[in-house]
Amino acid sequence: MKKNKMSKSKKIDAVITYTILIAVCFVFFFPVLWLIMASFSKSGSIYDLNGFFPKSYSLGGYIKLFTDTNMYDYPNWIKNTLFVSIGSSVIGTTLVILTAYTISRFQFKSKKVLMKSTLILNMFPSFMGMTAVYLLMVNFGLINQLWSLILIYAAGAPMGYLVQKGYFDTISNSIYEAARMDGASNFRIFLRITLPLSKPIIVYTALTSFAWPWSDFILPNLLLKKKDMWTVAVGLMHLDETQFTRFAAGSIFIAVPIVILYFCLSKFLVQGVSAGAVKE
Amino acid sequence: MNIKEKLKKIKDILLHSPLPVKCSICIMGTGQLLYKQWLKGITYLAIFGAMIAYMVMYGVTDIKGFITLGTTQAEPWLGTTGDDSVLMMLRGLLTFIIIIVFLTVHISNIKDTLNIMNILKSGKKIPSLRKRFGYIMDKKFYVVALAVPVIGVLVFNIIPILFMIIISFTNYGGDIVPPKLVDWIGFGNFVKIFGLSEIKQTFVKILSWNVVWAVIATFLNYFGGLALALLLNKKCVKGKTFWRAFPILAYAVPGFITLLAFKFMFSYGGPINYYITSAGANAVGFLDIDAGITAKVIGLLVNAWISIPTSMLLATGMLSNINTELYEAASIDGASSWIQFRKITLPFVIFATTPVLITSFIGNFNNFGVFYFLRGGLYMDGYFLASDTDLLINWLYNLSIDNNYYGIGAAVSLIIFIITSIFSLIVYINSSAYKKEDTFR
Repeated sequence: MKKNKMSKSKKIDAVITYTILIAVCFVFFFPVLWLIMASFSKSGSIYDLNGFFPKSYSLGGYIKLFTDTNMYDYPNWIKNTLFVSIGSSVIGTTLVILTAYTISRFQFKSKKVLMKSTLILNMFPSFMGMTAVYLLMVNFGLINQLWSLILIYAAGAPMGYLVQKGYFDTISNSIYEAARMDGASNFRIFLRITLPLSKPIIVYTALTSFAWPWSDFILPNLLLKKKDMWTVAVGLMHLDETQFTRFAAGSIFIAVPIVILYFCLSKFLVQGVSAGAVKE
Repeated sequence: MNIKEKLKKIKDILLHSPLPVKCSICIMGTGQLLYKQWLKGITYLAIFGAMIAYMVMYGVTDIKGFITLGTTQAEPWLGTTGDDSVLMMLRGLLTFIIIIVFLTVHISNIKDTLNIMNILKSGKKIPSLRKRFGYIMDKKFYVVALAVPVIGVLVFNIIPILFMIIISFTNYGGDIVPPKLVDWIGFGNFVKIFGLSEIKQTFVKILSWNVVWAVIATFLNYFGGLALALLLNKKCVKGKTFWRAFPILAYAVPGFITLLAFKFMFSYGGPINYYITSAGANAVGFLDIDAGITAKVIGLLVNAWISIPTSMLLATGMLSNINTELYEAASIDGASSWIQFRKITLPFVIFATTPVLITSFIGNFNNFGVFYFLRGGLYMDGYFLASDTDLLINWLYNLSIDNNYYGIGAAVSLIIFIITSIFSLIVYINSSAYKKEDTFR
């Protein structure tokens, strides 16, 4: 279609479309931009900002984040968060992939029972289990332990196997049958055929099960009462208005890697989200 | 096989099976020993012995303790240690689980003896242990693969939930925490929630706001995301990846950061109040205890900001699945783009996303984060440990974590479960993936 042939109504339509688009993107971008600007504010308190904009800019917020660690030990929070996130991502992904693959691939007697019971379990508010987990942990003295967080996250991960099962369902059965004919054992098939075929879903699973502990606050807030055990989420929650620059800098610092990760993997993300939705 | 046939079969096994099978039914492992399956027999026998030892040493007292929940209270003045009711509940629960596990092992033991009997009857040789091991690793791959996940879910999901259900029938919480003795009170907590004036009023108010919140939030997020996806999908929009990056940015920033940032934005010292005060007006407490409807609206908008990108991604995926020939045919027939949208796009997207719509309804119903961060920990007059924006899940948190009302909290969570399970059941029973599990093959 040539431009000069474009009708007037189409031009108006395009103008309106772009206006709305710019407005929407501004709404989504502005809070983030505000945080970024605030993180470079010279003064620490929110009261010293000129509305959305700092009076003067400096890198002080970031430097303080890593040097002034007496009250708020940010490097330590990062260390704890990384430990918990990586641990639960590795164990959780393994368990989810194994569960989803097995349920998708094999026909066995207790399969329906298993699927139905996960459905019922998923209906309980996740929070309900958490209060009980808290009570259990208190009673067994497992509070203030980072690895107990990893255990809880990883153990809960197989409950969300449906997205991954949906993916495995799309792999044709004939590949497996051919391999069986050649005498490969089920374990070998899983290693040699299934895993290489399911890279996208593994990446998706690893990313989501990394991001969940990375940004969760309920469980760490419940179970980590000691200050030197805090994760980033718990630590940032304890910053008040006078520590606003520190909050902004700390937030930007942990948000940047995860945002980059999401953008690099946005292709998988759309696939993963929609695959799960269609099959759920 | 119906129940009658099953019973007949069991009766048949009990009466007419050979001695080893009968032995195995009475004492685990003896049947295998009589069939000269030494290792298996000894293992089963050892489990049987361990179980009896456990029951004698702990099991019986634990079950007794579970029933009484303790009889002697600790007297610090006299220096006597009393019973810890919560520990007794837990140990009782564990004993019940151990008994159930034992029974399944016992059944597997009986089945195993029957299996050996059948093999011998048909005159074949009993496969060696090594062969059997290989068989289990390969043919029963699913058992091996699912063992760890199932145990994990049992320990970290099922036991806590069972524990919670148990607690909801006790008076645990408030002043009554160990060393004081906890008692069974039957449906007492539920009677309180549905009958006692202040708790009941709070419950009714929170529940009605919770439903309103979930409905509005779901529609806002869903149609917001759909509208955004359609906007980005328009032919005249160039550089879709660029535009799409902004919502994805919002999607990628961890939720707690967004929520805390918005809290700062609407706080007294925040930028919005800065402009209000520099215009000469008084600062507005957007999220104060008496903020009323403002706080609710802010909550809805903030939630939309967080959730619209997700539903946009979803809708984008859906839109790319629509058959473009439909549109071409419609254009030839002279349908305007509005009619095309109404007759092709909308029905398709709504059809494809109905399950998501209902899951997101449940997600919003149990949306803990928004009001926890924006104005958590506020208690209003006329509410029992809650404020007017709190959802049931926030109330549950206030009750059980902040104020130790474990019993009532557990009862509230059971009620939430009943409400959400009704919705979930509708979703899952109607979802095509569940009905036709294997049609995608």
